Amino acid sequence: MSPKNLIIAIVLGTALAAGTFVAIRSQAPVAPISALVLPAPNPVPEFSLLNQRGEAVDHAVFKGQWDLVFFGFTHCPDICPTTLQVLASARTALAEKGRESLPRIVLVSVDPERDTPEILGQYIDYFGEGNLGLTGTLAEVRKLTDGLGIFFEKQDVDGDGYSVDHSAAVLVIDPDGGFHSLFSGPHVVDNYVHDLPVLMGGR
Amino acid sequence: MRIAVALPVAVLVALLAGCGAPKAPLVISELEVTKPMPGRSMSAGFFIVTNNTDETIRITGVESPQFASVEIHETTVTDGVSRMRELEALEVPANGSVVLERGGKHLMLMRPNNLQGSVSLQFLSGEAPVLSVDYAFPKDN
Repeated sequence: MSPKNLIIAIVLGTALAAGTFVAIRSQAPVAPISALVLPAPNPVPEFSLLNQRGEAVDHAVFKGQWDLVFFGFTHCPDICPTTLQVLASARTALAEKGRESLPRIVLVSVDPERDTPEILGQYIDYFGEGNLGLTGTLAEVRKLTDGLGIFFEKQDVDGDGYSVDHSAAVLVIDPDGGFHSLFSGPHVVDNYVHDLPVLMGGR
Repeated sequence: MRIAVALPVAVLVALLAGCGAPKAPLVISELEVTKPMPGRSMSAGFFIVTNNTDETIRITGVESPQFASVEIHETTVTDGVSRMRELEALEVPANGSVVLERGGKHLMLMRPNNLQGSVSLQFLSGEAPVLSVDYAFPKDN
């Protein structure tokens, strides 16, 4: 290929790439960039837990709105508040963009032994209004986590008290109470701001 | 396996006392201490610790008059599972740094007493204090 033809080829190639980029941009949002969507929503299993006001709730609590569900515990000073802050910031950013339908933030305690409804309530209220906290007996928490494929395990290795290993994922539950998709982390505000409207569609 | 190279106290004290020296042996930068969440009795501490000496410095403990207990922890996320473990020590390599940040190594400060506007931290190597720093909470926090 002559130098002249090579330059033409480079110019054409660059133009094609730029055109494709613009085309993709103009069609956005088309697909999530971070979330993994399940082939079909998986119904949330039945359970009986307490919300942060101490009221008994079952799987129906997940019906009627989109939920972002994180599994953590209030004695976790690092990754739990960081993740919840990302979710809260994403909600704020979407509201500022004019989106009216916003997902609810739900924290399911994987440390129900220490996380009473009151403690959980103080914790989640810190991240905004309308959040839901779920706690209760270990057996009932297990029903929910096992049904959703969420792992957690108490560790006694901590020098002062104990820690709980837990899945770092954030699950997206649709308004029919179906496990719709998940963010596996690391959790980034921009990814949520991009993906949530795509996942939620018109609902 | 691991060779503890704690600097002799006298040397460190002498180095720390060497005012006018261009570089302190151990420097803490970008320090941030979170306030306990409502209803919680713990804070997290994040910073960069830099060792300007030619020997590894092992920080084996941290004390604070504002907290009953301070531990060095590390959060890891492996195969989608978040784990937190206490570390025996923070090994700061010779002429190197260690970053304590969200989702990684951090201080866990437990059971605050009379927490006001600031937190004092004293870093220990063995029984020997190697550095003291103060952190003031931002006014709007």
